[in-house]
Formats: sequence, C-alpha cells, structure tokens
Amino acid sequence: MRLIPKPGGKILFFLLVSFGAAMSVPAQDSLRVDSLVLANRSGLENIIQGSVAGLRVKSWSGTTGAQSTLNLRGLSLDPTDQSTMPLILINGIPMVAGPSNITGINPLTYFTPEQIDRIEVIKDIDRLAAYGVQAPNGALNIIMKEGQSGSIHVRGSAYAGVNFLQNMDYKRDAFYNFNTTARRDVYEDGGMMNDETLLVDGAGSYGSYLFGLSNHQDKGIIKGSGFGRQNLFLNAKYNITDRFTAHFYNNMTMANRNGRYSGEYSRDLILPVVGSEEFFMDRNRNLGLVSSMGLNYLLGYGITIRTVAGLSYEGASRDMYIPSNLLDGEIYASSAAYKRQLITWNTSANWLHDFSDALQMDMTLGGELRNTDDRLTSVNGQRSLENGGSNFVKVVTGYNAGQTIALSNHNIEKLLSFYGTWKFKYKKDLDVNLVARADGSSLYDKKWAFYPALGIHYDLKNSLDIPVKINAGIGKTGVLNRPEVYRGQLDAYGDYYGGNYLGIGQLYPGFSGAKSIGVIQVDAGVTVALGSLLNLSVDYFNKTYSDFMYQRYQPNISGIEYTFETGGKLGLSGIEITLDGNWIHSTNFSWGTNLNIAFYKNKVKSLPGDIDNTSLAHLAAVSGAPVTSLVAWQGSTAKKIGNSEPKAFGGFTNTLRYRNISAAFVVTYAWGADVAAASFNSRYDAQSINYDFPVKNAETPYYFIDKDADGRTVYQGIRTIEDGSFMRLSRAVVSYRFNAISKKVEALSDLEIFVRGDNLLTLSRYSGINPEENITGSRRYDLMYTGTPLPASVALGIKVVF
Amino acid sequence: MTHWMKYRKLLMPGLCKQYFAVLVVMLLLGSCRKSLTVDQENNTVEEGYYNSAPRIQQAVIGGYTDLRRALFANYAWMMYGEARAGDLKVAVNYQQQVANQQLTAANENLVQLSDWGYFYDVIKDANDVLDIVDNAEEDILSTYQKNTYRGEALALKSMAYFYVARIWGEVPSAEENNFGAHLTAQQAVTQAMGYATEAQKLLPWRLLNDDGIESAALTAVRFSKTAVTSLIAQQALWLGNGQSAYDILTNTFTGSAADSLSGFGLAIGEDRRTEIPEAPLSKNVLSMPIATFNTIYPVGDTRRSSMFNVSGNSATLIVSDVSKVDLLRVNEIDLLLAEAAWRSDRLEEAKERLINASGGATEDYSTLTEETFGNALLQERQRQLVATGQRMFDLIRFDEVSTYIPVFTEADVANGAAYWPLSATSIKGNGWSQNNYWK
Repeated sequence: MRLIPKPGGKILFFLLVSFGAAMSVPAQDSLRVDSLVLANRSGLENIIQGSVAGLRVKSWSGTTGAQSTLNLRGLSLDPTDQSTMPLILINGIPMVAGPSNITGINPLTYFTPEQIDRIEVIKDIDRLAAYGVQAPNGALNIIMKEGQSGSIHVRGSAYAGVNFLQNMDYKRDAFYNFNTTARRDVYEDGGMMNDETLLVDGAGSYGSYLFGLSNHQDKGIIKGSGFGRQNLFLNAKYNITDRFTAHFYNNMTMANRNGRYSGEYSRDLILPVVGSEEFFMDRNRNLGLVSSMGLNYLLGYGITIRTVAGLSYEGASRDMYIPSNLLDGEIYASSAAYKRQLITWNTSANWLHDFSDALQMDMTLGGELRNTDDRLTSVNGQRSLENGGSNFVKVVTGYNAGQTIALSNHNIEKLLSFYGTWKFKYKKDLDVNLVARADGSSLYDKKWAFYPALGIHYDLKNSLDIPVKINAGIGKTGVLNRPEVYRGQLDAYGDYYGGNYLGIGQLYPGFSGAKSIGVIQVDAGVTVALGSLLNLSVDYFNKTYSDFMYQRYQPNISGIEYTFETGGKLGLSGIEITLDGNWIHSTNFSWGTNLNIAFYKNKVKSLPGDIDNTSLAHLAAVSGAPVTSLVAWQGSTAKKIGNSEPKAFGGFTNTLRYRNISAAFVVTYAWGADVAAASFNSRYDAQSINYDFPVKNAETPYYFIDKDADGRTVYQGIRTIEDGSFMRLSRAVVSYRFNAISKKVEALSDLEIFVRGDNLLTLSRYSGINPEENITGSRRYDLMYTGTPLPASVALGIKVVF
Repeated sequence: MTHWMKYRKLLMPGLCKQYFAVLVVMLLLGSCRKSLTVDQENNTVEEGYYNSAPRIQQAVIGGYTDLRRALFANYAWMMYGEARAGDLKVAVNYQQQVANQQLTAANENLVQLSDWGYFYDVIKDANDVLDIVDNAEEDILSTYQKNTYRGEALALKSMAYFYVARIWGEVPSAEENNFGAHLTAQQAVTQAMGYATEAQKLLPWRLLNDDGIESAALTAVRFSKTAVTSLIAQQALWLGNGQSAYDILTNTFTGSAADSLSGFGLAIGEDRRTEIPEAPLSKNVLSMPIATFNTIYPVGDTRRSSMFNVSGNSATLIVSDVSKVDLLRVNEIDLLLAEAAWRSDRLEEAKERLINASGGATEDYSTLTEETFGNALLQERQRQLVATGQRMFDLIRFDEVSTYIPVFTEADVANGAAYWPLSATSIKGNGWSQNNYWK
C-alpha cells in the first residue's frame, strides 16, 4: 500500500527525515573576480570595494590582516557592532566571517582571490528572506572556481611589493600631539609583501577538480609587526551516475599576525620613549577551515534533491607578554584561545514544473540546521567574547578566584529552519518570487518566528518594446538577539571568608519576551538598458528595524539593576544608482566604466517610553535624527553635532585595453560624514571643575561625558568637528599580456605581468591621515575605535597558465 | 454496501495520507522545542543553576557580599557611624565633609553614600534565597542547611532594613506584598524585628563548615543565634521596648550558652566591583585625633593602651583580626543587657551588668542613678563599640544628636538632620521625596 503518492511523498519524506542544501538564490549583482581590480592587501572585501552600489567597505585600519568594515544595507543600534555585517557564504554555505576579538585576524583573508570565480551580492528582500535571521543585512555568496575542461591545467601567479606611507606627517596622524620621535620609530616605509598561488585543475565526464595552495605575507608599515597566511584548497565535483553528483569543497588556512606594543595597542606612547620592544610579544595564530560536502540527486519529474553539510571552524589563539620596561615595573602575560564552529546542514527539494508554455514554476522546499559553538578559554587577563564574557565562570566551575584570572566560556546556539521558495515565470515578462521561512532559535523562550516575502519583476521589453525592467518587493527578516536572555543571568559579587566562598546573585531576571529584532524591507527598482552601450539601474529600499532588546534600569530598591525589554524602531532607506558603460569594444581597444553611488539615510523612528531609564538613554537626543548621529553636550544639553555616516558613497571603475596592454583603476568616495576629534588639552575630572565645562577658545563648545578607569566622570572636550569626505584612488593596475610568447610555446597558454597599486592617492580635507580611520566617527582621546594609518603599496606581479 | 461505506473506502487512503503527514509534522515540530533548548555549559544562566547545596550556599553568601558592599563602599559603615559623629577619622578626602555634616556637597562619594541601593540588594538576595530554599528539590539540602540558609537570609534582610531605617528614617518596603510602600522608621524596624525573630529560631549557635565540623571562624563572619539575638535586642531597644529586649536576651543567653557565643563581622574578600575597599582596616585608615581620644578615654582608662596605639597627634585602632570588620561584638551583649534592664526598670541589675562589661573604666558606675545611667551607658558604648559603626545610631536612639553634633539644633534634628539625604537615584522612579532637612 502506498501511503504517500509519488512524487510529493518523496519530497515530504525527505523533508521530514532530514533538514538542513545550499539554497540557489539568484544574486542581484555578480562580480567576476577575474574582471575585478584586485588588491595588494589581503582580505576579499578589499577587492570588491567600490564595485557594487550600496556595499560599503570602510578601510579603517592599516594594520595588516585586519578586516575592513563591511556594510550592505545594514544598520544597528551600536556603530561598533559586527551585527551589521552581511552574511558571508562560500558556495552557498555560511561561514564564520567576523574577526574574533582574540586575534583580530580577518577570516576573509583565508582565501586567495585566484581561487574565486565570482562574488554574488544579494540584497533584495525576495532573495534575502530565504536566509531568514541569518541575513538581515544582505549576503555575499562567494562562488569558488571549478576545474575547467581538459585533463590538467596549471596556473601560477605571484606578486611582490612594498608598503609605504605617503607624505607621513606626524601632525596629521591620529596619534597627533604625542611624541613625534617615537612616531617615526613606530612606522617604517618599505615593509615588503609577497603573494604566490598555484592552482591545478581539470574537468571531464567524471566531473571536475581544482586544488591549489597559496601564500601571502605582508609586513605593513608598523615596525616589527606583520601578517601571513597560507592556505590549501580543493573544489571537486564527481558524477557518481548521470543523476547523482557529489561536491566536495575544502579550504584550510593558517594565518598569523604579530603585533607591536607602541603604535598598535599603547597609543599614548610613554615618555621617555621606550627604546626596545624586543621582549614584547603578541603572537596571534589562526587556523581556519571551511569545508562542505553536497549530494545532488535528479529524481525525475523535474525534481532535484540536494543535501549539503558545511563546517566552518576557526581556532584563534593569542599569546602576549609585556615586559616590565613597558609597564613601569609590572609584567603582563596572557594566553587566550577562542574556537568558533559553525555547522550547517541544508536539505531541499526543488521542483521545476511547466503549468503551460507560458507559466513555469520553480519551487524549493527545504530545511536547515545551523549549530554555532564558540568556546573561549583564557588565562591571566584577556577577557573578551563576542557574546559577552564574564570572569564569573571560573569560580562557579571550581577555580579559586584568588589564584589566577582564568576564564572558560562556552556558547552554543541552534537554529532550525524550514523554508519554501516559489518562483513563477509568466512568459518572458513577469517573474513572481514568493518566500516563506520559519526560524526556530535556541535563544528564546518562544522559539519560532515566521518570515515571508514577495517580489515582482516585470520586463517591459517583450510587451511594450521598451528596454526597461521594473521590480518591487516586500518582506520580513530578523536579526538574532543576544543569547540566553530569556533564562536570566547570575552575577558573581565577590569572594568571602578567605576567598573560599563565592557570593552570587541575580544580574537580571529571565526575560520571556526575548525575540529577534524584526526587519521589514520594501524594495523597488528600475533598470534601463540602452543597447549594449549603457545600463542604468536605480534601486530604492526602505528597511524598518523594530523590537530592539535593551535594558530598563530599575529603581534601586528592586535589588537588581535592570530588566530587559524590547522596543524602539530604526529606519534605513536609500537609493542606489549604477551606471555601467561599455563605451568602446573593438579588437584593439576597449573601454568600460562602472559608476555606482548610494544615498543612505537612517533615522531613529521611535524610542521606548521613559527613555532616560533605559540603556538607550544616549539616543534621547537623536529621536527623529540618524542613529549614527554624533551626540555631545553643550552646557547641560545633549545635542547632535554631526553624523558619522556619509550622505553618499560609491565607486568609479574604468577598464581600458589597448592591444596587449590593459589598465584599470577604482576610485572610491564618500561625502557628508563628520568626524569629532577629542581634544588633548581639555579633559577634566568633572567633579574638580564643579560639573561646569570650561570652553576653550580654539576648540568647539562641545564635550563628551566619559568615565575613567576609576569610574569617575570625565568631561572630554572636542577640538574640532571635521568633514570626513574623501575621494581615493583605491586600486590601479596596468598589465601586459605576452600573446606572442604563449603562441610560440605550446605548453604555455597565457602569460601576463602587472603592476598594481593600492591606496595611491586620497583627497580629503580631514586633518588626520585616513578619513575612514574612525569606526564610530569620533576620534577619541585614547584612540579606541581608531585604526592605524593606512599604507599605500605598489606591487609587481606575474600570472602564468600552462 | 451503503453509499457511506463506499465513500469511506474511497476517502480513507487519502485521509490516511493527510493524517500521517500532519502527524509526522506535528511530531517533528513538537520535538523541535526540545532540540532547540541548549544546556549552557557556562552556568551563568539562572534557570536550573541552584541544583546543589554549595550552589544554594553561593546565593546565601551573595547576601553577605552585598551587605559588605553596602557597608564598605566609601567606608560607609564608618561614614554612617563614628566618622559622621566625629569620633574616628577615615583617611579619605570626603571624610571631612561628612564630619562637617556637608552631606549634600557635590562629591561622587557622598552621592554614593546617599544611595540605599546596596541595602536593597541585600533584601533582594535574601528574598531570592528564601525562594530558592523553598523551591529546592528534595534531598538537596539537609535540615540543618535548610534552616541555616533560611535563618541567614532572614537575618540579613532584617539587618538591611534595620540599617536603612537608622540611616534614612522613613524608607520603602521591598517585600512582594507591599513593594514600594512607605514605612516609618518604627514600621521598618518592627518589620525587621519580625524577620530576625523568625531567624533566631532557625539559626544554630555555631555554623558547620563544609566538612560538617563546627567552625568558630566561619561563625564569626555569618549569622548565628548569638548575632541575631543581639540584633533583635538592638531593634527592640530602638523601638523603645526594653522589656522585650530583656526577655529575648535573658531567655537566650543562659549560662549554658556562654561557650558558644560568637560575634558577627563581615569577612574581607575580593569584590568584583573594584571600587569596594578590600582592606578597610589596613594600617592608618582609621584613626582618632588625640584630643578626641583623651576626651573619650580619660587618662587612667586601661583601654587607652589595650585598644589603641598612640603616636604623635593621633591614636590608631589596634585591629587584632584584619580579616573581618566587626558589626556585632560579643562584648556588646552585656551592654545590651544593661540597657534592657535599665529600660525595663531594673536599675540595680543594669548597673551590675554595666560594671561587668566595663572593666578598665575609671568611673565608678555603682553610684549611677536612673537619670545618670543613660549617659554612662552611651559613653561605654562609644568606648567599647568603636569602629563597629554604631555611634551615630546610638546618638539618635538616646536622643543626643544635637548634644554631640552642635551644628544641628534640636529643631534640625526634629526636621530630619540626623538622617542622611537621599541621592537622586534613590528618589527616582519610586515617588519618594528628599528628607525635609536636606531639601
């Protein structure tokens, strides 16, 4: 007896017995890596900087191996928060992509651009909703190269170059006003970089293979520091039968970064200048693994079943030692290890069905399991964890608090999701996309949330003979909130009776209303194509983020400091314009351009009641204004003094070729961002000035209110509010292809040499060296959230294919 | 075959399929909740944490550490007591403002001292412990542990209410049944005395350590029957009820209990809040100007040398055990008995007890009368209980504030000057208003 009829039963059966496959979500923009201007710096974000409207890659730090800030239609309450980062997928499988607090090494350096085929940019809601809470702020899907037909190809590439600081003027450096002799001692022109990659690939009826290895070393401009990475990778497809294929992907990376005390950590160089740092140790080592295995079965009746398991793992460790000559007689040593692991399993069934010649459907139903497991251990000191750590754990797990500062913390999160996507295609004119996703999270008491989306795309060419496409979409996603709030948290108060007993109590009570931040997104767009010459697209989006989780301070007779609540609303909207021009295309000469610009606005739409009694009290002054506003005090009033986000940003790329010579350059720009620079001369203990800030003549009348290490109130004067607008020649390359030689030498199929420059010229009125160096838009007294100077670099390279 | 049967046959397979599918989906979704629950290894989550006696004891200790915060932050136990009364100096810059009664001066330490938050943290901790003990699974706690933890929680809560009532006068209740209710000082102390009386029945004379052995050192830093009895007596005397104080003291401290007596102090330890002093009794922190010293301990009083080291212009307190700060000393029991006897019209017994308690004094207490006894007792309390933080409360209780703190007139005291002002955060969000005198 057949309980369930075919083929529907099989879909259902598969869904029920297994969850978790790389979703095939069509991308909005697809960037072929071979046609991009690559960067000398490592980090994949650097090669797409300025290439896509709305994708902001902010080069805030010159420290080698650091990640530039990535933002793709993302917003959060906290400008330093990594939660605005887009989801990074490798062949459709999520990876751990944010740098760990332990080593700060950028996981996007784990790959060489040579192994990547294309990067797909996904930002519209009818595509994003399929990822649910994983991708509230867009997604970048990195598709790796596969073997090309032929039994074997060997591809090699290498480049070497130098870093330098142009016109290094210590007065312009963010370390301004510190010791200038020491400044020159920290930075050094001529730090070498080199990079080598070897790929071997092939393909045939059996499938395809590609494997390779790569090495990247970069000394940067900070003396005695540097970054290195080696990786080994494999991408193979095997056709088991005509219908059944398997896919293996594996990338293993070892990365290391050495830090330096002066210049990197200690910003206020101690006088007299510390001569030698040879005993200072800051060794950062990462092991990164991204691996996946997929099976694909063509069932017939237009049905394909896929299942993919993915593993993204990073082991980060840091060993640090600061000798007594640097710390005024004290020594400091710490060792920390942070292991992050993400396991995903995605199973789906896809059904392609033609209702008629005119109406077709592409339906996918699937399930996904996502398991995050982060474990931090540290001894003597370093205590930081992405999700918030506490040194409480050591004691409840049996350490004697008096003996050592040790920490072990472990966070596990599970996400179970079911999703369906339906794409209906009517003739060549109309596409309708429907998405429904349910995410169940271990972070909340009420586990499930539902995210639907609808998108309509209409091509006017067929019916009206106008080369215009229009689209509109609406839907909902969410942002995962902080873990385990619904269970309440305990707090360690202190040791008692000779350090033998630990006193604990409630930090905050359980919050059963904990849930994800809701994101409602509306999209609209129009694309006009003028033959093969010009393509113009204008996209509008509007996102509303609601139900942020925040703390409500309790009256001090309640015995707890705060409880959690959800509320508040932020809005982010923008217009993204892309102009692709293919001006000249002939045998000997070609010229193409890409100009993109995005105008973004964000706004605090509503705030919780009695805002002053919440952890969002600092936003009281920006209600109705951007959440990225810079807020300072003047007299006894808090006011908005600027906006750390630019009004507009984008990139401009030109690609030229004359016979064998090619040249390309990328200009990035942003305007309208403000930078508030803290003053070194007006910083006061508030009590000592009787809570009355004295305004200095040459400075602004504004001040920030900080707390110093002893918890005392400090009034920090603001020296200037500057314009952070800039235009930068981010990357430029000139290459020559030896067609003649490769024609003569049979084994050689391609040979090319190139000269490439990064960050060659910056035009800005900003008084510091890099207008993007401040993550929060304010250059603080202690330079927290301010990066080291961004170097320029020039490299000479070669590419060869056998 | 009826039509119905025919339809049923036709329908059944379809229904079966649907029900089966629905059933499986339901089973799957039903199991999701379980699969989505993660047992956190780091143990910082509250849910399910209190599953053993040592963990429940951590919650009890939490009450002591919060009481320590309440009394040690900014050397509060001295600032509320001897420092404010001018008897002792604390080596911090804001002490002079406290001694000058400038309690509302713009100083962050004074603002914190005007905040009652830490005392209410103790009350919350205690109420949590009572809930935890009541809800603990069977077999986790022995009867001894159950009684002791409950008793300690009640005693801590009682002590916290007693402190806030003596420091601020009118205070809010933080009990579930009347949260936020305004309590007069009398009501608050009455409420506190109720908790202490309940605790007295539960607490042992001596506490057992983790090995189940009676520990004098542990008993000295946690509530025992002795300590809570002293507390009840203090509360009864504060309420003007000498007879109850007399009854509780004489019924509890019978001759057979003498060996088991223990004072109560707060153990020194590392606090996670770095602003809490970890060595409040370290050398040179507490001192007494030589003139004050000579006034309080006249020449010939043997306690001049047994309790102090005199050098130059100041006398520093000899601290025999720096690992704890005494709050309720064993030698106070006799003083309390003397006071209770005096307040319950037993002058002769009162004198006898005072003489017993005051070895080393130069005065002849046998000649005291009903009228002069009070001052003599107040003075002996000042001498013997120095550094326990009680001086200011004694002045209030004996109605002698304006005598010893001349900047205050009797009208000022009647207006609330003896109590502390309230910080902005203490007033905020609970409909409370500033003490009349400090407005």
